[in-house]
Order: sequence, then structure tokens, then C-alpha cells
Amino acid sequence: MNQVISRREMLRSLGAGLGSVALYGLLAEEQARAQIPPLGNVLPTGAPHFAPKAKHNIVLFMPGGPSHIDMFDPKPALAKYAGQRPDSVNVRTERTTGGLLPSPFTFKQHGKSGLEISELLPNLASVADELCVVRSMYTFNPTHTPARSLFHSGNIAATRPSMGSWLSYGLGTENKNLPSFVALSPGGGGGPGLRSGFLPSCHQGVAFDDSFVDPEKMIRDLRNRNLTPEAQRQQLDLIQKLNRSHDDMVGGDEFLESRIQAMETAFSMQAEANEAFDLRGEPASVRELYGNTPFANGCILARRLVERGVRSVHVYSGGGQPWDDHSKINQNLRARCPDMDKASAALILDLKQRGLLDQTAIVWGGEFGRTPVSESGDGRDHNPFGFTMFMAGGGFKGGLCYGATDEFGFRAVQNRMSIHDLHATLLHVLGINHEKLTYRYAGRDFRLTDVHGEVMHDLLV
Amino acid sequence: MYPPGANVWRRAFGPENARRLLSLYVIASLLTGFPLPSAFAAEPSVQKPADLTKEAVEFFESRIRPVLIERCYECHSSKAKKVRGGLLLDSQQGVMEGGISGPVILPGDTENSPLIHAIRWTDSEFAMPPKASLTPQQVQNFEQWVKMGAPDPRIEAPSKEANKAKTRDLAADRNWWAFRPAVVANPPAVRQSSWVRKQIDAFVLQELEAKELSPSPKADPRSLILRTYLDLTGLRPSYEEIADFVKDPSEKAYAAVVEKLLAAPSYGQRWARYWLDVARYGEDNPTTEATNPGYPNAWRYRDWVIDAFNRDLPYDQFVSLQLAADVIPGTPRGDLAATGFLGAGPVYHKDGRLSKDVIENLYMDDWDERVDVVSRGVLGLTVACARCHDHKFDPISTRDYYALAGVFASTAAAPRQLAEIDSEVETRFMATSQRLFYLSYVANLMRDEPGSSPADARKKVERFMSEMDNIRTETTELRDKFPALGAQLAKLERRPKPYPAAEEKRSDAPEVAAQTPAVQATKEPGTLIAANETGNIPVTAEPTLAKGATVPPPADEPPVGRQARGRGAPADPYFHSVFDAGVYVDGTDPDLTMIGIKPGVARDLRVLAGGNVAKPGEVSPRGFPTVLAKGKPAFLHGSGRRELGEKIFTDAAPLAARVIVNRVWGWHFGKPLVATPSDFGAQGELPTHPTLLDDLAARFIANGWSLKWLHREIMLSATYQQASRSRPDAAKIDPGNRTLWRMNPRRLDVEAYRDTILQASGNLDSSLGGPSMALDQAENKRRTVYARISRSRVSNLLQLYDFPEATMHSPSRETTITPLQQLFVLNSPFMRAQAEALLASVAEAGDDNAKVRAIYRRALLRDADDHELTLATRYLAAGTMTDFAHAILCTNEQIFWP
Repeated sequence: MNQVISRREMLRSLGAGLGSVALYGLLAEEQARAQIPPLGNVLPTGAPHFAPKAKHNIVLFMPGGPSHIDMFDPKPALAKYAGQRPDSVNVRTERTTGGLLPSPFTFKQHGKSGLEISELLPNLASVADELCVVRSMYTFNPTHTPARSLFHSGNIAATRPSMGSWLSYGLGTENKNLPSFVALSPGGGGGPGLRSGFLPSCHQGVAFDDSFVDPEKMIRDLRNRNLTPEAQRQQLDLIQKLNRSHDDMVGGDEFLESRIQAMETAFSMQAEANEAFDLRGEPASVRELYGNTPFANGCILARRLVERGVRSVHVYSGGGQPWDDHSKINQNLRARCPDMDKASAALILDLKQRGLLDQTAIVWGGEFGRTPVSESGDGRDHNPFGFTMFMAGGGFKGGLCYGATDEFGFRAVQNRMSIHDLHATLLHVLGINHEKLTYRYAGRDFRLTDVHGEVMHDLLV
Repeated sequence: MYPPGANVWRRAFGPENARRLLSLYVIASLLTGFPLPSAFAAEPSVQKPADLTKEAVEFFESRIRPVLIERCYECHSSKAKKVRGGLLLDSQQGVMEGGISGPVILPGDTENSPLIHAIRWTDSEFAMPPKASLTPQQVQNFEQWVKMGAPDPRIEAPSKEANKAKTRDLAADRNWWAFRPAVVANPPAVRQSSWVRKQIDAFVLQELEAKELSPSPKADPRSLILRTYLDLTGLRPSYEEIADFVKDPSEKAYAAVVEKLLAAPSYGQRWARYWLDVARYGEDNPTTEATNPGYPNAWRYRDWVIDAFNRDLPYDQFVSLQLAADVIPGTPRGDLAATGFLGAGPVYHKDGRLSKDVIENLYMDDWDERVDVVSRGVLGLTVACARCHDHKFDPISTRDYYALAGVFASTAAAPRQLAEIDSEVETRFMATSQRLFYLSYVANLMRDEPGSSPADARKKVERFMSEMDNIRTETTELRDKFPALGAQLAKLERRPKPYPAAEEKRSDAPEVAAQTPAVQATKEPGTLIAANETGNIPVTAEPTLAKGATVPPPADEPPVGRQARGRGAPADPYFHSVFDAGVYVDGTDPDLTMIGIKPGVARDLRVLAGGNVAKPGEVSPRGFPTVLAKGKPAFLHGSGRRELGEKIFTDAAPLAARVIVNRVWGWHFGKPLVATPSDFGAQGELPTHPTLLDDLAARFIANGWSLKWLHREIMLSATYQQASRSRPDAAKIDPGNRTLWRMNPRRLDVEAYRDTILQASGNLDSSLGGPSMALDQAENKRRTVYARISRSRVSNLLQLYDFPEATMHSPSRETTITPLQQLFVLNSPFMRAQAEALLASVAEAGDDNAKVRAIYRRALLRDADDHELTLATRYLAAGTMTDFAHAILCTNEQIFWP
């Protein structure tokens, strides 16, 4: 047993904090067949429970709660009963609401599948046959913070590990020089979406500010401000010589050895991360496709990082909660959608062209949807009872419209899919049995899906 | 006589009502065919422990229970292989329910109690116990017991239902190694007895010899002195202090060094931090919103912990004060800061627009956290596992869980002023300030609610404002008499703007941060809160704002939260504390859930099936986990916090002592004796040295729970003073060093690493106490223990070096070595600044060669050897002196803990 623990510790330190590996060391049943690579400067990559459909996950997160009724879930009945408040919509949400508010946007069918998508999203409409639209999502809290915690970690408490951390813990990373879980947003926040909770802190999401295109502005301490790379190499050579003789003096030690290697990794990472995060060299055609906004930066970066083996990338559509349209839904969505629509569709197309879409499970959505009844006359309140998300790539069926809300779009009523089901399904396409990815903490085996979650096989290829 | 079970109703309604109610039930049951509630089916006369006299309990415990265990349990307990006659005698409920042939006891009536007949052995068909009768004295005792009404304190023991799920008996559960009494052991005989210096050495050596291992030689004086300074103070000795010890490394000299360091203030600065991990110390909440602002004065608790370590406050008092300083009579005012342990605990936002159940559940989460931090932190038990179902591995029931959670449901957080104050006045102030805070919050909430029925909202706001008016009138006297409290209340009184506000613009947090100077936006749109109306100490929390959003400075005074970040800024004369008050959620208004804080009212919680607030079960009176309780588990005074502390250090003293001794051992050696320091239950690891742990725990108690005694006992041992260098022969046999054949070499934690870098550069400010300061402030040169600890946004440096999230109890720290850490070491402005300062400190040394020597002495506390001097000269041919100094700070030697 000591041997195993010691080896796990060794792996963790060699893993260099950019993903240590649950399925190697911690799941006893997996241990037998886990092939631990020879120790060296190699980071073991994931060993899933079964053949994965996808290797990477990109989450396009719409903070604030985008309006499904105006984007993906047309409800003609709203026009018919406009301004009225039938009993069925007398539901307590966060705020006081009024009568039914019809969508000001028109819907058309798109692609071979005939998916109905509103005029707000012409670019996503053009890739309709790639989208797996779930109209029957529901969650458990009408307030932003708890609902965001639910989306990211499956729990209201803001202390549980986020799905990105679970994936890092479960699958490790394919690139030891980059973090296994990256979150991109203007301002570089991420809050509960980054949390590693009780998982080892190396699985925490690393946040970068995608309003920049210069890696040095995105990554702390990436560049030495005083030394050229050559001069720094000389300095590092001196450090390592001193470290070697210190090693001899104290008789060698696992962690001292690991630190020597981590210093080398850090040195090479300066170049590698610089290369990975530098968007300044992207050709004009790419900019043409994605646009020129922070969200477009985030989507391009997501593709670049996935290409380089990063496990999960979360791209936030804006800081704060831009999709929180309590008023002026018409003007606000018209102003906000073009950027999101263009870059999201571009990412799907771009990944497809590069042959990466199959390996990448994309999830698009917010912490909840919005009410069919009005707030402030022209806005919509939070709606956790029924809303839309879409998936694409990585094992999800394209051109699928799954589930349904009631006639007004308030509650999910058919083929309901909870946030836990989403997590279970996402883990599934990545080759993980959500009931088996556990972490022992405080006397309990914890899961991303707690005691819930069902894999929604109907959505999968 | 009343029908079975009627006494429950009698107590509740009086005889007449009870009878009427009962007959209604019976009729209803007959008509509908539904079975009667189980309470009516059998004979469970519900005794509350509170109802039993001390004498009655003692009688039962000394005369009845032992006989039941010895003579009856084999066939009549939930642990029995086969339960005979359906009769369980291992719980009060079981005794009262009786077996398949009906009740066995009629309280007060010996002649009609079948159990008495059976033990008299008069009826050969029905004589119990079947093989041998009880003694006449024992029979007499049972008769007396039944006459007394069969008092039975075992209300929490397993019932028949529980028996279906598992087989458990309390006596066996109490025999778990961690729960047994801790006893002083005789040191075992060992071959190499000359090695033994302290009692612990004999136990360690015994294990080593059993595995044909030998201990490592004593560490060289230089390594030992470095280890000892880092261990006790988190700092390194000076070059001269090392030289002195190397000259005289005798045991006497070493003991003197240990004494000197234990007496140094830097000892408390170092060891307090370990406790702060256990106590999940933080200065804000996981999310920061209107009802859960930050704790800018939490540092007063941190300073209290540092001081407590420095004055060697006995551990039992140390913990008891943190749980209950405010209700322990005679506690000096200064020690009330200890209650920051609970008063600055993490809480979640209670959005008044959410339903009663959701809010109730959020409170349950808060209380769950308290149960967790106390049970895992102090008792090494995962009690929080029993929130939804009985603990699957340890003898902790949901009743135990809710009994403990009730303590915290009867405890409200509130600020207290530093100065002495009459306790009644203070309670009134605390309750009032909480009410004002909440009213101000909901008034803002409703005022800002531009929904479809503004008239309603307006009506409500007016109602809240008028209640605030009433409070103002009621507290006139308080304000006049106590100007300091008056000033605080005046701040809380600040109103939402007149309604309706024409100029008002909706606040969607990212776009519009603030509305008026006195009002700050929080993350949640629509929840505005006056800058100083944050109830739990008037301050502004750090609002989480999107980029570009700014918070305009308040008109009259800067928010305290901001002041607290700068050193020497005036701090509020308040600290975060708690007081006994029941916390209730009021869902009577369909649109707005209100919170009620009732001072002096204790709240017993109901057991929630599956942890679901919508499925309340039986009431579980506040109390101590049954398996640990000796005698009555129930708490009878106020919230029960004082009794909780008392029970921990009397009934559960052996467990509490083992847990802290194991932690301290782990902090000294890098690895504890029990590898799961916060889980001493069945799922945890067993101790590597059980007798050693027991012996040390027993002597720790005997030595007055003195941590400084424990440090001496450990550090003066031969075990502790071993070299940390690996030995291939021993590593082969015991690679994990479980037997302690050497000292574990370690990497410095973030506090010691940053502090010793600052020490090397000469920049360290080692002064004691005061408000926290953000770590990323360039001018912050204080010891890392004074860094601002956020639960919502962990400082970059702390996160980089495995600092635990302060949202929950941390059993121990992970140690990772990552490239991102090395980017910090190689490239950060902080390290560069320290390199420059290091160089500046040796500016007088002379030429480059002299400077190199001086840098070695200052940073690595030794002289450079010839090889190192050559390397330096070679490097300096192209590199600068600053880059050289920087390189020295980057070395492994700088982060190594020998």
C-alpha cells in the first residue's frame, strides 16, 4: 500500500499540478488495469471507464439565463394569450411578474432536421444539423448564485468541485504544459465554475481574461520582465546546478527532484503557453469567421487549447450576468445575440473542419431560462422550471430536438432533463460512469451527480 | 386509564382534549380503513431525558442497564443474532413497545408487568432469563425500577425499525478504539534502550525493532536547529544563532532553544495558522450578497487564536471558548473574540424572494457546516454524514445529527462591541441590529421590485419602514444610554430612498454598480443594501463586480472593508460573535420569506427524512452524540453550546485528546499517526502507533491539555531529532516511513515559504496583530498569517501553494509541486523585489565575491563553499548580481524543511 501511495504522490508531483489522475490511483477497481507509464517526464493521460465518444469538453456559458422562448423554443400560444395570466403561469419565480409576453422574434425551420430557431441566431441556424437541442431542461433554484453553483457543480452549496475539476481529476490532461481546466471570460473570473472544492487544488480551473489577445496579459508571471530567454536559461542553469548539489547534500528526495523538473517545465511553458494563448497570429479568415469580441477570442482560444490537449474549456459570454434580461428583452437580445451567435457557430464549424468536433463535446446554456410572463412590462424573470440548452459534437446527435416545455414554455413537461442528467450524460460521452467517479471526503464518497443523474441515451449517437 | 399512547396527547392537550382527539382518530381509522398512527398501536410512553431525575437515571445506569446488557441482550437487543419474541430491551422504545405478546412493562405496576413475572421465575413456562435466574437483589431492583415508572434515558438507542436496517448496540459501539478511555502505558522493553530519551521513543523503537529496523542517527546540529525554528516559529534562525548552536549542540542547549522559541510571539503566529485551517478561518463568505456580507473584523478572532497559543491556553478551554465564550460565566470580555469561530463562519445568501423551504434548506446548510467543523475538527467524527440517513459506518444516527444541528439553529450571529457591556442591553442590541438589518434588506428588495404589482410592493415597504420606526422609538433609551451602540443603530437606520424614486434606474449588476453614494450594488441585481447596513457588523463586503464597473466612494465615510485592507487603518471596535437565539424562517407572506431571530429561545430540530426540509419527522432534542455521551445526552441550557464544550472535554475527552494530539504530531512530523486526522471512525485509518497515541493523549490530559507540554514531549524526543536523510536499507522495508525510521523531509508551506523569503531579503515585518492585508499588495511585508483570507476569491499565491479553501474544515493540506509555482518563483515581481532587497542588504559587503558570500550567509544561512563561489563567479561574468541573488532565492534549499 505504501508503495502505491508513494507512487501516486510521485505521479501527482510529476503531473506537475496540471492534472493528477484519479482513474490511475484512486479508483481501486481501476487500479488493476491502469497502465502506469514509466516514471519520467511524462504525464499519464486519462484512462476512462469505457471507450469515450469525446476527449474534450467546451462549455459556452451564458451567465444570467438566456431566454429560451426567444431563441430556441417557439410558443405561438403566447401571442394568443398575450397579457393574460392563466393559472398555469402563476408560478413563484424570483420577482413579481405580470401577464404573458409573446416573443418579438420570428422562428423558422432550419437545415435538414428542420430545427426551429429564431431570427436572432442566423449563424447557429446555419449549423442546425449539428445541434442537439434539449428544450426540457430544468433546475432547482431561481436565483443566480445557487443556480450557477448547480450548473457548475450539481449542488447549491458553493463549495463542491465544479464539473471541470471533476473531469481534470477523472481524466487528467493530455498536455502537461497547460492547465487541464481553463475558464475564459472578460476579467478572468469564474467563481464557482472554477472550484475544486475538496478535490486536490491542482484540479481547480485556471481563469484567463479573454478580453486580451496577448498571452502575457492573460497569464500571471508568464514572462520574466528582466531577462531574455537566453539569460534566463543561464540563471536557471545556475539554479539547477545548486539544486543538484543540494540534492547530494541532503541525500535526494522525491519532491526536490519534482521541483527541479517543474522548473524546467515552467521554463518551456513560457514558450508553449505563449504560443497557445497568442491570438495575434490568427489569420484574417479566422477573425472573419469568429468576429472580434472577447467571446470570439474565447471561442478561438477554446479551439486552440482543445487542439493542444486541454481537457475542458469554459467560455463565458461576458462577465457579470449579461443574459439577465429583466427588462427590454427585445432591444437587449438584438444587441447581444450577434456576437454570441457568430462565435458559437464559428467554433462548431471550425472544429468540424479540423476534424475535432467528434472529439469535443460542446455544451451551450445558462443557469436557467426566462419566464413567459413579463417583468417590468418588457422583460422576463428567471425560470428554472423549463429552459433550453444545446449540445454539439462529441457523441451527441445533431439536428435533434429533444423534450418540450408546456404550451407557454414555463415548465419542462416532456422528456425532462435535470442538471444532474446533463452532468451524467456529459461524463458518459467522455467515457466516465458518473456513479463511479467518486472522491472520498469527510467520510463519504462524493460524486458530481451526488445521488442523482441519468444518462440521456436518446441524445447520443 | 387512557388508551395506549394517550400520554403524549395528555401532555400536549390536557386529558379532556386528548381523549376527544384520540377517539376521533380511532373513529376515523375505523371508517377509512387506514391504520392508526403507530403511536396509538403500541405503548410508547415518551420519556424525555429532561423528565428524568438524576437519581432515576443513576438508578437505571447502575442497577438496570448492566443487567439488561449482561443477561438479556443476547436474545433481546437489536444486535442479537436472533431476536426472541420480538422483544428489544436495548432501547426505551423497545422496552415500552414490548414483544409479540404485548407490553412487558406497565410503569408503576409491578404485579401486572409480565417482565417482573418472568424474572421472578415463578412460572416455569415463562421464566427469564431461561438458563439461570437473576439474583434476588437484581429482581428487587427491577421491581423498584418498574415502581419508579421505569425511567429509561436510552431514548436514542435503536428501535425495531432501526434493527431491520442494521444491528448495532451501544456498548459495542462505545468499544471502538477511538472512544475507549485513553490510558497511560508502560513503555515497552526495547533492545536499544540507550536511544530512548522520551517516553514516545520507546513505543517508536519497539515498532522499528519489530520490523528489524533501526532509527536514523541524530540530525546534524545545523539541520536540527533549522528544523526546530521552522517548526515552532515558521521562520529560520539567524546565521549567528545557528553558529551558537553548532558550537554547543548539547541536549541542554537544545532544550533551551525549544524553550526560547515556545516563549517567542512568533510561535503563536506559526501555530495559530494550523488551527485556522481546522477552523476554516475566512473573512467573507463563499458568495457575497445582501444578506451574507463579509467579516472585516474576523481578524480579531485570528488574533485571539494567536494569543491563545502564545499564552498556552489549555486546549479544552481553547475549544470551549470558541464554542461558547459568551455563555461561560466569568469569561473575560477579551476572550469573547473566540466566538468568531462560529460568528464568522460561512453562510449563504438568504434571498427573501425564495420560498420558505429553500431558505430553510439554506439554513440547514449553514448549520450542517457548523456540525461538520465541530465534529470533524474537534472530535474526528464525520457526523455530517448523518444528515440524510443514519451514518453508514459509524454509530451516528440522524437523531444525533439533528440534536447537534439544533445547537446551531439556536445560535445567531451578531456583532459585539469590544468594551464591556451589560449583557441584557447587549442582547437587545444584537437582536435589534439583526432585525433592522433584515428589515432594511427586504425594504430595499421590495422597493426595487418593479414588477407587476407596485402597489403591493409599496405597501410592504411602508410596513417595513414603520416597523423600523417602531424599533427606533423602542430603542431610544438604549441609544441615549449607550452612545456607541446608538451610533451603530443609527447606521442601520439609514433608509431606502423615499418611495417611489423617480430617478431610479434598474440595477443590473454588471452595468450599473451603485445607485447612491450610500448604497452599493451586490452581485445579485435588485438586492441593494446600504453601505453600513450589513447587520453582522456594519461594513461593506467586497462586491463582486464585472470589469469596468466601479463603486463610487460613499459620501460620508470610507467603507470599513476597504479600511481593513490597509495596515493601521482604523478598525471598527467590534468583533464577530454569536448569541443564544432561535433562528426561524417565516413563510406566511407568499411573496416574501422572512427571518425571525428569537433571543433566548432554543430551537430543537426535527429529523428530516433524506435531509429533505419538506419531510420533517420526530423532534430531536439538542444534545451530544449518543455514542459519546455518558448519561443524558440532552443539552438543557440555552442553545447548549456550553454543554457541548463540556461534554467534549468530559464524556468525549479521550477522543478529543487523541484527535488534537494526532494533529499536533502530524504538524511536527509531516504525517500524523492516524492518516485521516479528521476521521477516527470506521472509515478512517487506524493509528500506526496505537499505544503511543493513547499514552500521549492520556498524559496530555493529565498535563492540563497544555500544547506547549506536548511540543516539548515531542521535540525533545530522539524520534523527532533523527536525521531526515533517506537510507536505502530502511526505505526498502518501509518506504512510507510509517515506523518513523527517519524524520520526514518536507517542503515549506506557503506561509513559511513567503515569510522566510521576506526574512532573507530583510523585508519581513513580524509585528503582531491587526487588520488583514491583501497578499498581492506590493507593500504587504507582514507575516502571511495576517493575509486577508477570502472564501470567495482565494489569493493567487495561496491557491498556488495548496492553501485550503476556507469554506469548510480542512483536515490537512495537500502538497503539490507545479510549474505555475515555478513561474511565480522565477518571474513574479514579488520575488524580484526580494532579490533586489537581498542585494541591497549586502551592499556594504565589498566586491562581488564578498557580496556573494554575504548573500549566502543572509539567505541560506551558511558560508558558500569553493565550488559555489566558482559557480557564482562564472555566472556573474554575464549575469547581474540581482539575478544571482534571485537565483539563490529560487533554490530548493530555500524551500526545504530538513
